[in-house]
Amino acid sequence: MFLARIGGTVVAATKHPTLSGCRFLLAERLEADGSTSAEPIVVIDWFGAASGATVLVSTDGDIARTKFGNTTPARMVVAGIVDSVTTAKPKSGGKA
Amino acid sequence: MRLGLVRGHVTLNQSIPAFRGKTLVVLEPVTMENLRAGNRLGGGKSLVAIDALGAAIGQLVAFTEGREAANPFWPEPVPVDAYCSLIVDAIDIHP
Repeated sequence: MFLARIGGTVVAATKHPTLSGCRFLLAERLEADGSTSAEPIVVIDWFGAASGATVLVSTDGDIARTKFGNTTPARMVVAGIVDSVTTAKPKSGGKA
Repeated sequence: MRLGLVRGHVTLNQSIPAFRGKTLVVLEPVTMENLRAGNRLGGGKSLVAIDALGAAIGQLVAFTEGREAANPFWPEPVPVDAYCSLIVDAIDIHP
């Protein structure tokens, strides 16, 4: 699982039949320092995540398979909408 | 799923039985920078994926990677690790 920021919406008329009616969002994976990865990802969302929201993305297709059946190629789904993330600043030059 | 531009098709002369009759496409993953610029450029490392949707050269698709890419052929065991799940019509990028 990883954190990602929602960056937009994806419209696709032609898709795998198990994915009809799904909401697809464009997301950027977040690193611990707040930067984003170079390549964006498309995630399935049924929480109604807003643009700019930070979400928890699961890359396990089990959630999708229970919902869309065994033949679905769906993998990355929004598993939750993030309220807050607390990270400690990495220590620099400190004694171990 | 990542996003990729269809750059070509692959035809196999000989193949394992599981790949017979399946369409293979060459995909170039798209970076956020190129997607924002709308320049129809990719930028990622190319890969080959199975396509059952009939994606044409130049079209943008979203492809599944990993174990889930073989799910559409369930319960047949096929060694597929990339599968075109959507042909993207439009992406609305919010600033």
